[in-house]
Amino acid sequence: MKWPSVIMISALVAVAALQGCRQKSSATDFKPPDKAYGSEPDWNNSQQIISLNYQQTQGQRIFYSNCVWCHASATPAGPSNMSNLKPQPPLANDGATLNSLSNDYLQNIITLGGSAMSKSAMMPPWGRTLKQDEIRAVIAFVRAIAQPPYQQPARTSSQYSEK
Amino acid sequence: MAAEDMGKISDRVRLVFTISSVIFLIVLAVAPLRNLFSEWKYYKREYFRMADGRPDTKKLLADFHPGIDQIWQPNLNVTDRCVTCHQGINQPSLTDATIPQPFRAHPIIPHRATEWGCTVCHRGQGFATEVKEAHQTTLAWEQPILPVRYIQGTCGVCHRTDIPEAPRLARGRAVIEDLSCIGCHKLQGIERPLMLGPDLTNIKNKTSREWIFKWLKDPRTLTDGNGNISVNGYENEDEPRMPRFRLNDTERAALSAFLIDRKSNLIEPYKFDSRVTAAWEKKPDLVDQGETRFRQMFCSTCHSLAVVRGGETQLIGGDIGPELTKVGSKVKPDWLVSWLQNPQAYLPQGLMPRYGWSDEDLYKVNHYVMDRLTDPDLLKDVRIPEQAQANDIQSGNRLFQQKGCGSCHVIAGMKAQKDFGPDLSAEGAKSVSELDFGAAKMPRNLIPYLESKIADPVSVNPNARMPQYHFKEGDLGSVVTAALSMRGTQTTPGIHALVIADARPEYQAAGDFGKAYERYKCYVCHRFNGYGGTLAPDLSYEGSRARQPWITEFLKNPQTLRPTLTFRMPQFNVTDEEARVLANYLALVMQTNRVDLTAHHPEFTSDQASAGKQLYEVTYQCQSCHTIGSAGGYVGPNLINAGNWLNTAWIQEWLTDPQALVPDTIEPHRAFTAEEKSALTAYLVTLKQSGTVKASVPSGGSR
Repeated sequence: MKWPSVIMISALVAVAALQGCRQKSSATDFKPPDKAYGSEPDWNNSQQIISLNYQQTQGQRIFYSNCVWCHASATPAGPSNMSNLKPQPPLANDGATLNSLSNDYLQNIITLGGSAMSKSAMMPPWGRTLKQDEIRAVIAFVRAIAQPPYQQPARTSSQYSEK
Repeated sequence: MAAEDMGKISDRVRLVFTISSVIFLIVLAVAPLRNLFSEWKYYKREYFRMADGRPDTKKLLADFHPGIDQIWQPNLNVTDRCVTCHQGINQPSLTDATIPQPFRAHPIIPHRATEWGCTVCHRGQGFATEVKEAHQTTLAWEQPILPVRYIQGTCGVCHRTDIPEAPRLARGRAVIEDLSCIGCHKLQGIERPLMLGPDLTNIKNKTSREWIFKWLKDPRTLTDGNGNISVNGYENEDEPRMPRFRLNDTERAALSAFLIDRKSNLIEPYKFDSRVTAAWEKKPDLVDQGETRFRQMFCSTCHSLAVVRGGETQLIGGDIGPELTKVGSKVKPDWLVSWLQNPQAYLPQGLMPRYGWSDEDLYKVNHYVMDRLTDPDLLKDVRIPEQAQANDIQSGNRLFQQKGCGSCHVIAGMKAQKDFGPDLSAEGAKSVSELDFGAAKMPRNLIPYLESKIADPVSVNPNARMPQYHFKEGDLGSVVTAALSMRGTQTTPGIHALVIADARPEYQAAGDFGKAYERYKCYVCHRFNGYGGTLAPDLSYEGSRARQPWITEFLKNPQTLRPTLTFRMPQFNVTDEEARVLANYLALVMQTNRVDLTAHHPEFTSDQASAGKQLYEVTYQCQSCHTIGSAGGYVGPNLINAGNWLNTAWIQEWLTDPQALVPDTIEPHRAFTAEEKSALTAYLVTLKQSGTVKASVPSGGSR
């Protein structure tokens, strides 16, 4: 009898059939589309483009409408208002100053204003003008453009102190 | 055959049966095995493994089950099995970029995936259970998934009015509108305006055949030192509204001959007051004086000029009207005078306001434009015979129609061309079989088709009549996004019900106000009850905001309230009567019910005013944004004359809730107490600039 050969043939057929359906390859040759929802040139180097996700893009829009006047060195209207203020506000991409501040701290100072956080009263409270989600989006945008880049902290820091 | 042989089968047959039944069994077993090794099961297992190794396993696996998951929204026509692999889309702990796809959480957006499904926004195939079939165009499925950079195209399917969350879509729609695509194409959500390109009936009066020839070759008037073309527009890279058509020199000669041959009513040259001419003709500083006047009138709010700054040519000025750097080499002097005097006689639908000119100013500015804003080399390389030949004129006439010029330009006596290009109002919903790729080598799906066609129409159709636009990278993407949003009438009832129609309010001004409103084209920059431009403040509530005497004075002599603005209200030289009519109408009609001007306010005490000053300067430090005199910030308006400018009731209401009066104002909404509001108001009304009513910059009349 030729049983072994029959089994051999059947096994070969089975392997071939299974090979055909293990299309793992298609998963790897699928090229993911461009991920960016929006983009912002790096403020220190306009050749460098930072890609933004949905939330950061919303933050970008709010930043350019409400915050850019005092937290950027140039504004859509031309000169910045920074030089009129004392103490001078930090640039939004100033990672050296802002990276050490927690998200909660930033959320609070934007919502409640400078004087509520024992900082300059020149920073107005935005809590009644912007929604909390909008303020969160602004912070996400600021984190995205920070130079040096922002690293998420391992543990959450206090919302009441700067450090 | 013997009876006992009937039940017997030969060994050979038995062997065949044995083998074939074994093979049959194995083949049968392949089906469940295939299922076991299918892609989605692989991702199910991977997700399980990943969740198992994390501290929040319980939460991540709360909804886990081994079968196919789907979001089913029958009214939206959604059956999306994407969640079979994308299992973490609703898990807030999986947002981090380090989480491998397909398990990452969906970014927070206004619409929840569980309510909307995935394919409503992303397109792709919701039924598919294989990676390739779900995302790409295959033989069986036509709709590919949208790359994220075009995702805003689906926002526009329902949101026909622009939403701030989808800036790329809004930009794309604006570009499509700016470039007059509606001239040739039917487009969803865009109406044909009264005028696209200028009426060419009387172009003979305006310019020369040489200039038309040059313009057709290169519809821009600026070239920089390196010969690079910069274009009229607010940014140097913006496309001009007039595209460059594919024409050769013979065709340009023919078209220019045809256009210059139109019978037109020759204009009578304007007769200047002989005393003005005599006084100014010989003055050496005539042109300089003209330039000063040109600047004082703030022509730059709408028109840009090339300025060399630090060795670089830059366009400075607005983009509402054409760029004027070389306009002196374009227009004829008599035409310019009559245009400046009354542009609405030449182009009734144009945007140029009709200034109130004194002969002196008109003479000076005309000389400035014709002398300074010129380029002697502009038409140097144009070689066409002075006299238009009959056969040129005839072929020019034919070309005018063949190229679809009549889609945007009117010529009296010629039929306007409508729907010259294909209907694009459902272009974003087209399936691959409806697209003509020609010989182009590209993936067969809608997105590369649109990208390629819009970037260069000839790339997919060598005989395309559409001219090529040179978009910036970002703008090309925006236009593709807007085209993808045009998907015709929605047949899915659930989506049809969600469409938020684009409300385009019209504002009709009648009577004497209406005449002045049309004459000065107020609505080009200002907005009235939702209608009009956005360059200047919305005047819908101007009557509640400003005091009538102040409005009158401002109209006669506009002084900017915001020192950093580059675009300022032009000096129109409105007459006293017009200023009275405009101010009266604005003050009485353009009001909001939130501000009650007739309510009785007790007189403010000086104590209140000084308390207000303290609040302004120390507690709230308003000077960080507002200037009083010369000290303070640039962000808000100058308040030095607030007492003469603003109504008391308006200030009170403004301090209560600024966004209720002007929804997009950036004045922070603060929680002032009633006493604080009164004190601040008391202080602000004391701020009066003495003598503003009388003292003013030269008003431009004949002196």
